Amino acid sequence: MTGRRLPDGGRIDRSRALGFSWDGKELTGYVGDTLASALMANGAQVLGRSFKYHRPRGIMSAGVEESGALVTVGAGDRRDPNVRATTQELYGGLVAQGQNAWPSVRFDLGSASNLLSRFFVAGFYYKTFMGLPPFEWGRGTGMWMRYEKLIRRAAGMGEASRAPDPDHYEHAHAYCDVLVVGSGPAGLAAARTAAQAGLDVLLVEQDSLLGGSSLSTAVPDEDLTPNIQALKAHGVRIMTRTTAFGLYDNAVVGLLERVTDHLSNPPAYLPRQRFWTLRSRYIVLATGAIERHIAFGNNDRPGVMTAAAGRIYLNRFGILAGEKIIVATNNDSAYELTVELAGAGAAVTLLDARSSVPGTLTAALEQRGVEFRTGVAPLKARGGKGVHALTLAEAYGSGWREAGTENCDLVLVSGGWSPVVNLLSHRGVKPKWNAENACFLPDDTTEPVTVAGSAAGVWRTEDCVVSGEVAGLRAARALDRAAADPSVPEPGGWLAPIRPLYEVRVPNRKLKSFVDLQHDVSTDDIRLAHREGYVSVEHLKRYTTLGMANDGGKMGNVIGLALMAEALGKDIPEVGTTTFRPPYTPISIGALSGRSVGAHFRPLRRTSLHDWNLQHGARMMEVGLYQRPWYYAQGDETLADAYVREAATTRTTVGLCDVTSLGKIAVQGPGATEFLNRVYTNPFAKLLIGKVRYGIMLRDDGLVMDDGTTWRLSETDYFMTTTTAHAAKVMVWLEELLQTRWSDLKVHVTSVSEQWTGISVAGPKSRAVLEANVKNPSEVSNDAFPFMGVIETILGGDIPCRIARISFSGELAYEVYVPSDFGPPAMDRLWASAEAMDGCLYGLEALAAMRIEKGHVTGAELDGRVTLEDAGLGRMGSSKKVFIGDALRRRPELMRDDRPQLVGIFPRDRSLTFNAGSILCAESQVSGHGDGWITAVTHSPELGHWIGIGFIAGGQSAWEGKRVMSADPVREANVEVEIVSPHMVDPEGERLHG
Amino acid sequence: MAERVSALSGHYQKGHFGKEGEAGVILSEVSGLVLHQLSVWPDTLDRAATKVAQACAVDKAPGPGRAAVGSHGVLLRIEPLKWWRYGGELLPALAAEEGTTLDLSHSRTHLRVRGRAAQACLNRLVSLDLRPNSCPLDSVMSTALHHVGITIWHSRDGFELFVPRGFALSLWEVLTDTAAQFGAEIV
Repeated sequence: MTGRRLPDGGRIDRSRALGFSWDGKELTGYVGDTLASALMANGAQVLGRSFKYHRPRGIMSAGVEESGALVTVGAGDRRDPNVRATTQELYGGLVAQGQNAWPSVRFDLGSASNLLSRFFVAGFYYKTFMGLPPFEWGRGTGMWMRYEKLIRRAAGMGEASRAPDPDHYEHAHAYCDVLVVGSGPAGLAAARTAAQAGLDVLLVEQDSLLGGSSLSTAVPDEDLTPNIQALKAHGVRIMTRTTAFGLYDNAVVGLLERVTDHLSNPPAYLPRQRFWTLRSRYIVLATGAIERHIAFGNNDRPGVMTAAAGRIYLNRFGILAGEKIIVATNNDSAYELTVELAGAGAAVTLLDARSSVPGTLTAALEQRGVEFRTGVAPLKARGGKGVHALTLAEAYGSGWREAGTENCDLVLVSGGWSPVVNLLSHRGVKPKWNAENACFLPDDTTEPVTVAGSAAGVWRTEDCVVSGEVAGLRAARALDRAAADPSVPEPGGWLAPIRPLYEVRVPNRKLKSFVDLQHDVSTDDIRLAHREGYVSVEHLKRYTTLGMANDGGKMGNVIGLALMAEALGKDIPEVGTTTFRPPYTPISIGALSGRSVGAHFRPLRRTSLHDWNLQHGARMMEVGLYQRPWYYAQGDETLADAYVREAATTRTTVGLCDVTSLGKIAVQGPGATEFLNRVYTNPFAKLLIGKVRYGIMLRDDGLVMDDGTTWRLSETDYFMTTTTAHAAKVMVWLEELLQTRWSDLKVHVTSVSEQWTGISVAGPKSRAVLEANVKNPSEVSNDAFPFMGVIETILGGDIPCRIARISFSGELAYEVYVPSDFGPPAMDRLWASAEAMDGCLYGLEALAAMRIEKGHVTGAELDGRVTLEDAGLGRMGSSKKVFIGDALRRRPELMRDDRPQLVGIFPRDRSLTFNAGSILCAESQVSGHGDGWITAVTHSPELGHWIGIGFIAGGQSAWEGKRVMSADPVREANVEVEIVSPHMVDPEGERLHG
Repeated sequence: MAERVSALSGHYQKGHFGKEGEAGVILSEVSGLVLHQLSVWPDTLDRAATKVAQACAVDKAPGPGRAAVGSHGVLLRIEPLKWWRYGGELLPALAAEEGTTLDLSHSRTHLRVRGRAAQACLNRLVSLDLRPNSCPLDSVMSTALHHVGITIWHSRDGFELFVPRGFALSLWEVLTDTAAQFGAEIV
């Protein structure tokens, strides 16, 4: 192949030259070029190396079906492998290089593997390296584990950058009445017709230009432009550089828009690619057809292309791809191209595998001096990194025989056309084989989808236009617009029938003929699979990797099927077809992620005190979607230093903690009391206004779901708190109960988690802090505001608040809730008072230490396996009412005395520590799953040694006087421990009432 | 009285950013949100709806997915049995047997998106059909924006977004990042 740019012609802008780099060499192309066309115009032939054999590969097509010119584009953190040079638009400064080769695609040491290709047949690695005889007979696949790495290193296509992707991507959503996929003659006609019916039409085109197959013809732009202008005049929305990659339920379509892949210096505010979810009401697939090649010897050599590609390079890019060209066809479609090539100055020979063709086809050939032969097909391309000759075969009986060799520098092949039925296949619609046109056609579907143009097997351009118009009218009728119902053009349209031809071979001649070029799947591989017993197409695909490369079998699948059918002695329809699945063309991982990356991988939930906490030295930790203060280090304090200080300070003076993340639910209505009484295990019917009650709720199966407090604000208003982790779960649960079980109850539940900011004020001086801040200090006296009381009052600055006297730390403590916008000013005031009393801010670590000292349970203990009794809360299960989970909690298995129960844990040697997650075992039986487990540990500032809580079979009473081991086999840290009451500090709760 | 502190406080920077030229998207936070939830019961819906409408001075309480603008606030029908009353002062006097009221003024941050590209910008993030025919003025909808449930009201001033306060900054960042491609102005 010796491509050269013609002095004129094409749809490129010759006034705008673009510099780019290929394998380190500086080259020039034009605006309107693809990377492939620019390389071809610069004489480049070998652009890649094949997957397995490292055979040289060049440009084979001019579109998405390309499996030869796969290159790496970009450098550094923007390096993209496996880019189809045929669809990559050229831009100034583009940097591209060959891949899967060393030192270069021109000279690749890896090509030595081609010499061993007879051993590298389909599935060779399974046969050769798994259970390698005689070394591994009957002993598994140990050696495979080593060879696999070597094989994977040798194979593969390109290498992605390991650096973080510097580009950004986004998702988008769109709606339309009618989506038209493809802007060829049929697509344009469909869009115009549907728009004329008053429908909202969206036209998407994967190419940068509208026109589809028209772009590959000599039709001047002036003839195309009015069509496009008409669309715009009718309000058709047009998206170019956008691929419809998948069809989903309810006419939902996935689109990938390449926003900046064609720009030299894209602005930072633009995403590189955009992933659209389009919801349409009707879809017209005018996706065109892809020309097939034919399997013959060395049909993968650079210099062998599809005929359609030769035409595109000629008419769209103004490039004559060869000087002495052989066009080999089995159908009518290559004739017009042949005449055009000859007109452009090439010496052209046309071989038609058919025995005869009508004179109307050949008349123009004679005028152009084209050598023309029928009953002849290509047998083997000659040449290494290009083609210099083609050995021919002539029809002989039912097969072929060798018929001499002709010099040439380019072989253009047309083996027939495969309508692009991929998108309809995504909907589970199996294509049906059309023997007359030797292709799969879309079958009927009940979904609002119709196929038009060559995608429906309609070959002639004028018929495609009619087909598009019919599709537009169908869409209109489906969407209740008055529209005519003309007949659809029949598939076909050639003057002479195609001669089905998938492989050319002659007896006793060994050829390397490829079916799937990117994955090096040869015709022999297909036959080998058949000999080895493969019958199903799906198995054939997986065994040989046919159609599994990034071209998705667009060119090779039909050939593979045909060869399998031949081997099986069946017709193609009996063998079936593979199911095409999304995406139609590859999608970058970045596009799938959209904006959900980095800091926005998931939304950050912030309490109103987030910034306040940071300004006051908080080290934060992630808690669900929140970030919460972990500890507030002073000076060089470590985590341990800080939390021990914070816990000790809180127990001696006062500490403040941001507890906003707790779930908060408003329960309102005349039925609220009854509702709560059914939901909680303990009685709520008689909870007084102005009082708080701790409550446990069970799941239906009798296991604990969550705990929290509920405050009675009025006869019909309650304020419920939940754990941070289960806030949403509880909210959903309450809604479900009201909507599905107790719709007769007049109750509304509303999440008010965001409405209120919560501040825990804990410690002996907590009352003093409140007294300094509420408008009326007498409201918070011990008598006026007893334990488990709640008041609604005003803080300084006229900040409304509600305060409950409850404690998680075990100290005299309050939870102060203010409307969230008042969180920072409220905290400013409370902290000023607390700081003046030598108080502290404390984080989750200190909070955890204090709750472990008290034996208070959290999500670590309430892990979905625990009953009320297990958690030491058996007394909270009322026997005088019915509540959720009451029946099933009485199952014998849940009432066994030897169930693991909550206990406290001390190290027998108080100087030692032990780990959360350890297994509790009898000292004499440190094995297996043990008798219990440790859920949390901390160094207790109050007790001066490490403590923990956890569960052990039978609870504390069962282990009195027995030796217990905290077994930590993973970290090799076994420690003897003592089982104690979980209430390790102030077990009588005297401090709460201080 | 202490001043309310917005969820965007310290992170709200006015000005033009992104694509140069006329701003396609104009973003703002509407501060001082006053928002109340008015919930009723199935058997009191009609009676309570009358009271709710009177309190906002609208002819009729709006049906599902709609808003009604009155001189004493705006009613947004957010659920079959619930309205939000945006703005206004006096709440309807609903007896417990008629319904409930709940102050949500601090639970949401009120963002406004307007401009010729407002719909396009929002549809980068929101999956609902915001085309004018499907989303006329005074449409009300619940949807997800960057995984977070939000409420949108299509008002005469643009798209009013009521986003949970805790997520407001995160969503604001995503929104402003997205708006940059249209040329954005924060006012």
